[in-house]
Amino acid sequence: MGERTRQVLPSVLSVLLALAVCWLTIALTRDADTATRAYLQMLWGGVGNWPAFLDGGNANTVLRPLGEAAMKAALLTLTGLSVAVAFKVGLFNIGAQGQMIWGALAAALVGAHVSLPTVLHVPLALLAAAAAGAVWSSIAGILKLKRGVHEVISTIMLNWVAVSLVDNWLVIGPLRAVAEGHQSSITGTAEILSTAQLPRLLGDSSRLNLGFPLALVCALTVWVWLARTNSGYETRAVGLTPEAARAAGIPTLWRAGGAMALAGALAGLAGAVLVLGTEGRYPGTLGAPYGFDGIAIALIGNNHPLGAAVSAAVFGILRAGGTRMQLLGVHKSFPELIQGFALLFVAGRMVWLALLDRRRARQAAVEVPRA
Amino acid sequence: MSLEDASLDIVPGELLAVVGENGAGKSSLMNVLYGLYHPDAGTFLMDGKPVRLKSPRDAIARGIGMVHQHFMLVPTLTVAENVVLGREPTKRGLLDLDRACDEVAATAKRFGFQLDPRARVDTLTVGSQQKVEIVKALHRGAQVLILDEPTAVLTPQESDELAQVMRGLVKQGRTVVLISHKLKEVLGVADRVAVMRRGRTVAEVRASETTVSALASLMVGEGSRGAALTGVPLTSGASGTGTAANTHASSPLVPDAKSTHAGFPPPGSVGPDARHDNTGLAPSGPVVLEAKDLRAKGDNGRPALQGVSLTVHAGEIVGIAGVDGNGQRELAEVLTGLRALDGGGGTLLGGPLADLTPARAKARGVGHVPEDRLARAVVKAMTVEENVALGRHRQPPFASGPWVDFKGRRERANQLLTTYDVRPPDPTVKLQALSGGNQQKVVVARELDADPKLLVVVQPTRGLDIGAVAQLGRRMLGAEPDHG
Amino acid sequence: MLEVLHSLLFSTLDAAPALVFAALGAMLSERAGVVSVGVEGMMRTGAFCAAVAALVMPTPLAVLVGMVAGAGLAAVHGFLSIRWRSDQVVSGMALNLVAMAGGTFLLESLFGPNGTPAITQLSRWNVPALAHVPLLGALVGHAAPTYLALTLPFAFHLLLSRTPLGLRLRAVGDKPHAVATLGLSVSGLRWAAVLGGGLMAGLGGAVLSTAVLDRFEQHTPAGLGFMALAAMVFGRWTPLGAFAAALFFAFGNALRIGLASSAPWLLELVPQGFLLALPYLLTLLVLALQGQRGHAPAALGTPYEQESR
Repeated sequence: MGERTRQVLPSVLSVLLALAVCWLTIALTRDADTATRAYLQMLWGGVGNWPAFLDGGNANTVLRPLGEAAMKAALLTLTGLSVAVAFKVGLFNIGAQGQMIWGALAAALVGAHVSLPTVLHVPLALLAAAAAGAVWSSIAGILKLKRGVHEVISTIMLNWVAVSLVDNWLVIGPLRAVAEGHQSSITGTAEILSTAQLPRLLGDSSRLNLGFPLALVCALTVWVWLARTNSGYETRAVGLTPEAARAAGIPTLWRAGGAMALAGALAGLAGAVLVLGTEGRYPGTLGAPYGFDGIAIALIGNNHPLGAAVSAAVFGILRAGGTRMQLLGVHKSFPELIQGFALLFVAGRMVWLALLDRRRARQAAVEVPRA
Repeated sequence: MSLEDASLDIVPGELLAVVGENGAGKSSLMNVLYGLYHPDAGTFLMDGKPVRLKSPRDAIARGIGMVHQHFMLVPTLTVAENVVLGREPTKRGLLDLDRACDEVAATAKRFGFQLDPRARVDTLTVGSQQKVEIVKALHRGAQVLILDEPTAVLTPQESDELAQVMRGLVKQGRTVVLISHKLKEVLGVADRVAVMRRGRTVAEVRASETTVSALASLMVGEGSRGAALTGVPLTSGASGTGTAANTHASSPLVPDAKSTHAGFPPPGSVGPDARHDNTGLAPSGPVVLEAKDLRAKGDNGRPALQGVSLTVHAGEIVGIAGVDGNGQRELAEVLTGLRALDGGGGTLLGGPLADLTPARAKARGVGHVPEDRLARAVVKAMTVEENVALGRHRQPPFASGPWVDFKGRRERANQLLTTYDVRPPDPTVKLQALSGGNQQKVVVARELDADPKLLVVVQPTRGLDIGAVAQLGRRMLGAEPDHG
Repeated sequence: MLEVLHSLLFSTLDAAPALVFAALGAMLSERAGVVSVGVEGMMRTGAFCAAVAALVMPTPLAVLVGMVAGAGLAAVHGFLSIRWRSDQVVSGMALNLVAMAGGTFLLESLFGPNGTPAITQLSRWNVPALAHVPLLGALVGHAAPTYLALTLPFAFHLLLSRTPLGLRLRAVGDKPHAVATLGLSVSGLRWAAVLGGGLMAGLGGAVLSTAVLDRFEQHTPAGLGFMALAAMVFGRWTPLGAFAAALFFAFGNALRIGLASSAPWLLELVPQGFLLALPYLLTLLVLALQGQRGHAPAALGTPYEQESR
């Protein structure tokens, strides 16, 4: 079994097993028929109802769901990348959620309070978000590198600090949008200017916006950086064997700190894509825990930038389709359950590999009978 | 992992030494005796009856105790807690610490140790920690006490003390099995010596009827010794060169491509007289290293170097001998920029020693083959070619600009793998798939390929078999004529 | 003033048990060397199962069911991290995600969006004679978990510092190889600690749905598990430290809620969000000032491998 297969196979099997287990969950709480139909709805909701479309349906029947899936995939890709990049340098970034919150806030503020033409406004808002996320993750990075504080603990703490400060103070207090006359129950920050909105790529037929290509570009860039540049090589070396990297003259602190900052920047971008692409403002509370999802996405993608993109695409599709499952009375959070199980099974990567190795050993024993 | 057909008889009430080179299987054999490893084949008889030791618990129950090379003490617990762990005295279900302390104090006294049962282990010196280990075994009623390389971490004084302790135990009717590769020390204390080589016991002799050199040739095997070591000041542990007090030469050496070779001083005491061991060349080249009064702390925060001075000329090999753990590693780390100096200084290849960083050391032309290969020299989860590039990865042929030069790297890696006969000669496999000897060849190949002006080599033969040692020795010497 | 203090104390004692139990559970597991970021998920599982069980059985029994459920999740954690030496943080976070989504799914498909039907809460221990005595009265009128939460930390302290089992657990968290060479089972001890931690976390969750509320609510435990982790770290991985930190955090919560109703003007000056962030900020500050290395168990998060060479 090749090295690449060993890396990919456990993830694929885990997702399949998670799908099977979750199908059983519906089948047991409801019945098998409902489970199957719910899965079909999830699929149509994610990739579009192709049979209906090919039967001469409206193009929107596939474009709209695909747009939704791409939107979710973009967010998952960015937070997944955030976690994966930190992993490459040996740090576990549980804090993508907090970094994303600050990124979203920064994007919302720049989007609402700076006036510029679109070509400048969008990049500036994105940049602000990335910077905000990077600053937040760097706190954990500095605590780790200077004080030896474990990043798992510090990023968990920083998540809750971010939630408390932003959701429970800034956006309901100082930064809350001023209500105008009839709009008395406005929540969140002021609406961003139209120049800051991420352009829609397919007009009105789908909510697909610039966020998706942006996320893909990020994934590609991160991959190229890690695989093909000197500093990416150094970063991986630091993550795998820090002492050897240090002995080789690699500036380990800078590489580790840099990767952590990049992780924050990517999570911050996710916040920006959410705000500039779909929400239009920092909402009253940034409910969706895309930051935590990033952990699952990164690990299911085996911490490979492109793997993260692929697993984000898969779960983007499932989650976009999740809303359709409600037609059958299955809660829309169901895909998150699939994702959770997939992560749990991926956590048992060792079990998969042991099973695969045993199977291979048995095959070998059959093929080459003992003399 | 490394035992094939080893036999050993242990007679009650004697001090048996098991000697052999690093990797000869001494520790593996002892771990089998202690129930930590399980033999694939063979029998273990106690008092004539076969026994199976499933775990250390069985061994302990049968009166076998072991003092591991790396102490098995919980640093945050007290001496008494460490000793009674697993067989704690209780009073109404609660731990009876007072009784534990009394018991431990009594055991310590009975065998003549001075230990404070209430002291936390991480506050003790290494020598005292070892005593805790011994007391721990005795406290469990050990009749047979196995000591795995006990003097590796001790000062000469502590080693002498330990020798007396061991004799004392034998006098009290206990059996002591001493594992060591320090022959002189072994002969001074043991009744009988068993020699191991490559996983086999090759001889058992009475200590009074043998000599250091006889044992040494038994250890390395006839013939191969010459091939391995002639003319190479790679003093392997078996060679018996060393400080007067202690017989042992742990063998760090600092040759360079111009055949420079710096020696390590004994603990903190070495002044300007580091011996220069020349391989035919007079130390006439330009001075590449002039270090004065180097001082540095070890990992434990205690002084490891206390005023080391050393001069190395281009074109010479300087061997540094001394008991393990007496600052050799730290000196090597100072010279390669890995450890900060507390005091002293000097020049290294035209720059000051004081603010050396690994990057600066590399830039000045210092190569390093460190003692702990897996932790320091390689990234085992990366491919062989990525490891070949490590350290020079920003220079051609490994890089072009900010990009990795895959083609150049592959070419150079292939070339080195062939030259150094690394097997398999495939630059794309993960380094961890190679054997220890082949990993080391990759490291040596890389360091020599960088054309260093000063090469710092620490224990380059640790864990390697004789053949690999011979080959490495030739490589290092072979590097010399090219430049010298 | 006294009255304010009285009601603050009362609500602190009412809210603290879940946090105390979860923090003790996390501490138990981590002292034996197994990272416990999965407490949030174990609490959620415990809360859900207790609430469901309470529909068909007496509430005290249902609490036990919740504990067992928490231990069940912990068993998965143990299987992955002890038996298979998986990354303990990954395994814990996976359990959090599963418990989060699974709780929502089961709740929605079995009971609908409004949470489980109301159940009988654990009964409160009222002493009318004391109820109106200032301050002292705040100590009565709570359900059993409160009193358990006030005593259990001391029991844990005794367990860790004064029993053979405690000594072994501490040893296995600091240097598992030393424990193994004495013939003790590293994985056995770690299993015991992880399962014990699961029981405690499950108890913490069960208390939320049987004493604090009277049902399983969508968002339970809403981050309380992570606050328990903060309390454990803040309390330097000791039972009494974690206890004190949990009480302190619970007091902070009570103060915030109390202020919101009694002195909203104060919240204008000190924003509520800032008070919410305080436990985490303080924990970060403590970690930043002293570094973590000195207090965390040395082998925390490192899977035990018998042969290290």
